[in-house]
Amino acid sequence: MTSLKRSLASDPYASNISSKVYVRSTKSGKVQKIVRELYLRQDIPCSSKLCTTCIKTAPRDASGNLPPFVLSEKPAGTKKYPQGHYLIPDTNALLNALDLFEQTSAFYDVIILQTVLEELRNRSLPLYNRLIGLTKSEDKRFYVFFNDFRLETYVVRDVGESINDRNDRAVRRAVKWYTEHLTQAVKGAGTKAAKIPAVVMLSDDKENLKKAKKDGIDACSLKNYVEGLENADQLLDMISVVKEGRELRDAKTAEALYEEYFSVSKMMTGVKNGTLHQGIFNVSPYNYLEGSIKVPAFDKSLLILGRENINRSVQGDVVVVEVLPRDQWKEPSTKIIEEETMNKDENADAEEGEAVVTERERKALQEEVKKVHSKSSEGRPQPTARVVGVVKRNWRQYVGHVDESSVSQSIKESRKQQTVFLIPMDKRIPKIRVRTRQAGEIIGKRVLVTIDSWDRDSRYPVGHFVRSLGDLETKGAETEALLLEYDVQYRPFPKAVLDCLPTEGHDWKVPANTDDPGWKDRRDLRGLQICSIDPIGCQDIDDALHARPLPNGNFEVGVHIADVSHFVKPNNAMDAEASIRGTTVYLVDKRIDMLPMLLGTDLCSLKPYVERYAFSAIWEITPEAEIVKSDFTKSVIKSREAFSYEQAQIRVDDASQQDELTQAMRTLLMLSKKFKQKRMDAGALSLSSPEVRVEMESETSDPIDVKTKKHLATMSLVEEFMLLANTSVAAKIYEAFPQTAILRRHGAPPKTNFEELANQLKVKRGLELRTSSSKELADSLDSCVDPGEPFFNTLVRIMATRCMMSAEYFCSGTQAYPEFRHYGLASEIYTHFTSPIRRYADLVAHRQLAAAIDYEPLAASVRSKGKLELVCKNINVRHRNAQQAGRASIEYYVGQALKGRIVEEEGFVMKVFSNGFVVFVPRFGIESLIRLRDLAEPEPESVFDAEEYVLRTSGSRVVEVGLFDKVVVRISDVKEESTGKRKVKLELVKVGEVDTHE
Amino acid sequence: MAPSSATQQVLLSPAELSYLHTSLSLTPPIRPDGRASTQFRPLIAETNILPGTNGSARICFADGTEAVVGIKAEVEKSRPSYSTASNIETSGNGDSNEEDEDTRMRENEAEAKQGRNEWVEVCVEIPGFRDDDSMPVFLGAMLNEALLADGAFTERLWINRRFHWKLYLDILLLSQPLSYPLPLLSLTTHLALLSTRLPKLKSEMDEDPMFDDDWDASVFLFSRESDAYTLRPPVTLLVMAVKDNIIFDPSKEELAVAEVVLAVSMAERPRSGKKVEAERDLRLLAVRTIDPPSRLTHPGVPNAINTATGGAAAGTTEQAASRREVTQEEGVWQPPRGGAKRKLIAGMIRKVLEKGGVAEEVLDGLDAVELG
Repeated sequence: MTSLKRSLASDPYASNISSKVYVRSTKSGKVQKIVRELYLRQDIPCSSKLCTTCIKTAPRDASGNLPPFVLSEKPAGTKKYPQGHYLIPDTNALLNALDLFEQTSAFYDVIILQTVLEELRNRSLPLYNRLIGLTKSEDKRFYVFFNDFRLETYVVRDVGESINDRNDRAVRRAVKWYTEHLTQAVKGAGTKAAKIPAVVMLSDDKENLKKAKKDGIDACSLKNYVEGLENADQLLDMISVVKEGRELRDAKTAEALYEEYFSVSKMMTGVKNGTLHQGIFNVSPYNYLEGSIKVPAFDKSLLILGRENINRSVQGDVVVVEVLPRDQWKEPSTKIIEEETMNKDENADAEEGEAVVTERERKALQEEVKKVHSKSSEGRPQPTARVVGVVKRNWRQYVGHVDESSVSQSIKESRKQQTVFLIPMDKRIPKIRVRTRQAGEIIGKRVLVTIDSWDRDSRYPVGHFVRSLGDLETKGAETEALLLEYDVQYRPFPKAVLDCLPTEGHDWKVPANTDDPGWKDRRDLRGLQICSIDPIGCQDIDDALHARPLPNGNFEVGVHIADVSHFVKPNNAMDAEASIRGTTVYLVDKRIDMLPMLLGTDLCSLKPYVERYAFSAIWEITPEAEIVKSDFTKSVIKSREAFSYEQAQIRVDDASQQDELTQAMRTLLMLSKKFKQKRMDAGALSLSSPEVRVEMESETSDPIDVKTKKHLATMSLVEEFMLLANTSVAAKIYEAFPQTAILRRHGAPPKTNFEELANQLKVKRGLELRTSSSKELADSLDSCVDPGEPFFNTLVRIMATRCMMSAEYFCSGTQAYPEFRHYGLASEIYTHFTSPIRRYADLVAHRQLAAAIDYEPLAASVRSKGKLELVCKNINVRHRNAQQAGRASIEYYVGQALKGRIVEEEGFVMKVFSNGFVVFVPRFGIESLIRLRDLAEPEPESVFDAEEYVLRTSGSRVVEVGLFDKVVVRISDVKEESTGKRKVKLELVKVGEVDTHE
Repeated sequence: MAPSSATQQVLLSPAELSYLHTSLSLTPPIRPDGRASTQFRPLIAETNILPGTNGSARICFADGTEAVVGIKAEVEKSRPSYSTASNIETSGNGDSNEEDEDTRMRENEAEAKQGRNEWVEVCVEIPGFRDDDSMPVFLGAMLNEALLADGAFTERLWINRRFHWKLYLDILLLSQPLSYPLPLLSLTTHLALLSTRLPKLKSEMDEDPMFDDDWDASVFLFSRESDAYTLRPPVTLLVMAVKDNIIFDPSKEELAVAEVVLAVSMAERPRSGKKVEAERDLRLLAVRTIDPPSRLTHPGVPNAINTATGGAAAGTTEQAASRREVTQEEGVWQPPRGGAKRKLIAGMIRKVLEKGGVAEEVLDGLDAVELG
């Protein structure tokens, strides 16, 4: 018998065809062998401006354009490569130090190989996305070279070769090819002056470097390369410490402090059959050792207590947990535990003898156990769980500051590398161990770090330093820190976005000729007496109003909204950017726009005295505020005046003003009061959140005073008509697109949310809080008054607001109609329509409404449910972040305004713990914690009566603090050590009223 | 007895058949193509010709018949048997302590690692036949029978107590079935099975299976390292006899005069790793007799009843038949009648399995095929 294998040699194209074989496991559990054929090409360009051959063969796009070549003809040189050089990093180099590549001082002309890019995507998606961002930026000159598709650089995997080795070889092959190719290209061009740039491989893999040396190609470890650059020390810190650290540890064979994670398959099996649970890990803001996780299997969250059980998960990670046996169930703590008070004087460099639980922590835990035990009869221990694995890390870059005590004095000045602790601004994030050479310099600075890893043998995660934002407490640094913490996109708009703006710029005008296509299907409302009412200094005017009597005794009322969708067309760069930003973010001294300034404050803004495009909702309303009919149209308007709330109020109140505009405003005011009454009757809640305004000195914009916001009738005038417009539009777009309308809902809060508050009111004041419906709640909130204390009602409302769910955008096809309800507004259906300049959801609603009235066809992107869901998900997050950023900004400025002052103010106790209590000061809208140990030195003994919500202290200071009690506090400012924020510090002066003689 | 309708009717006259029969009855037999009685025709074989499959092979016989076999494997949830179901129940509770679990697992291992015949599906396709025709179904059954004969093959498909591989063997005859295609299909299947690889398992115990996504890391279904306990994939050979002569690898003309045709399935137990030169350890798996196509040939007419040669014609066809029965004239073709003698069958099997016998030669030949 003979056997024979057909050879491929006979096929003339054999060398151009290769194949890739791998195993794919699908979600449903199928396992497939996948074979992909690769067609190797020779026309993939090197993209170097030096090369003349590639430009001839490089493929053109459909319209015959050649994508511009990226790599500079005169790349920068270093000491080692004075002739200039291109960089080719391997995957590890990017994984360990992507931050380096984002620097502006170096790392230009970088070739990213396809092999590397794909490997990076498999290893870390966030890093991959950042790299993609880099390759898109023009000034960094990053070029993605598809080496696996080019014949010369394609590498066939050898028998017995691991994938990693094969990829390393592919990188080396590409480097070699580039070197040869450039040499040839330069020689071919014949210009004598041109120097051939070196092509340098960057790698942290010793084996790879060794092989590169053997192959005779330029290669360099990251460390060596960076050392040759100018600001080496700074840059060196950005190299991830993971590897070094690991080698060090291996030598020591340190003990593992945490339990090992389950294998992925074990976790998945467990989650599938319900023995394990998957969810997002959340840390309690009051106790860093207490986490909770909401899993689909249970109604209430599971508690995760203690470092071992938290097992290296960080706030926001998607983790898998295992429920602990019943005897380990516990009550959530009533105690405040903050990291800095527990582990103050730790040495970051010390690695031996580390125990997961420090002595002090253990003590704290014991106390809790005792308490649970003593109360086991009536206390209800809650199920606790243990993290057994992390499905997805949600690590981002964290803002924080260096723990000064962890920096040893002797080497503060020196350049020696040392390990320091970084304390993140977000209290829920653990300390991060960072190795740095610049310890001395970054003390007292706001810095940005990333977490690289968290090994079993390390108590804290290990990270590296990215950059310094500036000194603590400088406005620039703190603002940037805020924006980074809340993930607000604050970079200037890229060119691609600005290109989408009208070419006329500020000179753009509504076309004079009504035959212009811009006028198509637009109603001419320029003759109407329209005005806008906004806060003082508002530049992005979204909305304007008008009202006029009709012959039949009814009124015509119009709400005119800036026609942003005319300028922002779906699916262009500007639309994409706006959908990512989601909302405009308002900080005390700064506004981060969703749309470029030109649109937001000029072309779209309904400025007075000029013609503007608008989207109008016009109703006929009876004097009893019944809607007779409604109508939506695109229009052209000319606002007569832009009022501030105060101006409008004055004008309405001034009886001598009898002009048409003022009359219209009076009509609107009259109608709005009736609308409001109707809403209230339907059960709309009037909730409260502490709102203050920071007054700034006009020139230096330093905060000088804090004022609580005043409420004017004209504010609720505008509010009522905006609500009316939103509700009408919601109904209209839902009717037109039952599956894909973008709506906003506010879920009814689960009853358990109010349990605590209802109990507190009952115990402390004998008041009843009924929560069965929003109407009941609204009524019972109205009855929660303390005759002696006018603020009490507001306080209860603030606390009730915190029990609510947050409202969210959704796509109508994803919920059943009864779920559309807006609980707070007691409206069956609701959307956002009235602020398209500052909210992306409104823009989508505009597009849908335009399609609903047959003004224009509906764009595909707002027609697909899946895409809309993604949009909703993103803007919900952005919205929340924007609110939090805004609040944090106010908090910061309140602190700044109080800087150096000591004030005594009245406050109210909002929450009582066993070792402290939270006081809210309405005058400044601040709330802060007063710990027992702040009361007196030494810390007074205390008895906490959880039933009565009273904390009684004895010993060094005798006070009795109960919930809702009025207290007098001394407010001063102090720099909080844990977060580095300047924060107000409250000290208890006494319980009760301020003395009258003050 | 397997039907022989797969082979086309051989268009040979009774005189030619008689000639053939006579020459094959000689000692040693003289075969039309001059081969020795145990000699095989050359064949061309290659493996891994279908990139999308888990394993594949192609064999081309010298007479122009050609077959391709592709094997696909899929992960499938096991139907719980009574014993395993109760085991999973108890271990699923998770409150039993680990040690217990471990020991029980080990105890259960042997019992749990049982395959089921339904985990293998064989499908034979022959041009000109519908897939529910008796011929392809019968061939499929015979190949399946040999494969499952030792009961250990399906154990290889066991992943854990909840999952297993399901193997689909697609056997495709590319050419017309010139001779009985069973040996061709069997050899091709044998090669395809040897080249079959399954993704490497990463998960442990009874978890949902997870596999290494690197195809190069995948493991052979029949691993090279000798696993001493289970058989290699089976090979089915066709053996025929004329008088007492035993002839291997019969061509279609030879089959037309065969008196006995046997399909002998055997498999090899891997030799222990140390003694490479040790002799092969062959096991007989199945023997099937096959209805020889010679039975359907027309008989020759002896001169005695042929009027053209001066004989006296029989009055009726019945008489003609009975007269033909009794004449034993040399050179007149008579389709074979009756069964095979036990002694002959024993001799045929012995010839296959004996040391230095035909099976060894075939396996040596197949071993030479490179498994890519």
